[in-house]
Amino acid sequence: MKLKDKVVLVTGASRGIGAAMVKVLVSEGAKVVLSARSEAVEKLAVELRAAGHQAEAVQGDLTDDAHVRSLVQTCRSKFGGLHALINNAGILHPGKLGMMRIAEARQMFEVNVLAAINLTQYAIRIFPRGEGGAVVNITSIAGTQGIDGISAYSASKAALIGFTKAAAKELAAQHIRVNAIAPGFIDTDMARQISPEWFARRVESVRIGRIGQPEEVARCAAFLVSPEAAYITGQVIGVDGGMAV
Amino acid sequence: MTDEKLKHCFVEALGVSASEVTDALAYNEIKQWDSVGHMALVAALEAEFNLMLDTDEIIEMSSVAKAKEILGRHGVTFA
Repeated sequence: MKLKDKVVLVTGASRGIGAAMVKVLVSEGAKVVLSARSEAVEKLAVELRAAGHQAEAVQGDLTDDAHVRSLVQTCRSKFGGLHALINNAGILHPGKLGMMRIAEARQMFEVNVLAAINLTQYAIRIFPRGEGGAVVNITSIAGTQGIDGISAYSASKAALIGFTKAAAKELAAQHIRVNAIAPGFIDTDMARQISPEWFARRVESVRIGRIGQPEEVARCAAFLVSPEAAYITGQVIGVDGGMAV
Repeated sequence: MTDEKLKHCFVEALGVSASEVTDALAYNEIKQWDSVGHMALVAALEAEFNLMLDTDEIIEMSSVAKAKEILGRHGVTFA
């Protein structure tokens, strides 16, 4: 178990890629602290504890500083600190240029970028002194390639990549690694909401010829926070079946 | 006692000698108290005094005297 007794904080943990990450992390021996707005996050933590894992949930909004502080306090009080942070929470409001509500664009930047920056600032303070830790930011193929119809979302995810690279440089001296994952077309509720025609077109654009599974992104995240990735920092790993090639 | 605890945090986090930790000691005045040292110091203070500092307080904490003032807001008293 490559993450035995490591404490990992995961945001957006109640469903989709976040929930898959949590399941992979605990299977590797990690203790997890989960954040999400939905009540489902509490239920997931209960299920994990019933299965013998160590998990704590804190329900709340990452744009609320009180929730961020509560997460860090939970890591400290329940597990004595933190070894890794996965900034997975994100929101998407589609909107073509000329038809985009700027309030929705602003909200995407608040959640997808600023909340991740703020939580990272708090989290790195409780990484073990001298040992460092790992931060993984979940960006998107939209951030690396740009996707039409979701330009503001693409911009927010590109901003998260910029933060990843700068933070990797800034925190390397403290042995803190910062990487990003750019998932492509992944089988989540969000992907299933699009029309069958769009769904088929998206699958066609995947060179491997199928939609990706949340567990495939989760495995990459578990690798990046593990000691196996000790020499990897400042990178954006595409988990996209070759979409971005 | 709290003075000693505070001094211990500076010594541990910045690797300075106890005699160097005076109220006048300021951020960026010695090479050990740079941004990296500052983060280690914040972590040490938070762990020692069991509190959590705001980002604004961390930015504001520019000297030992200022650190005492900020910790005072969290109920920590100094002689």
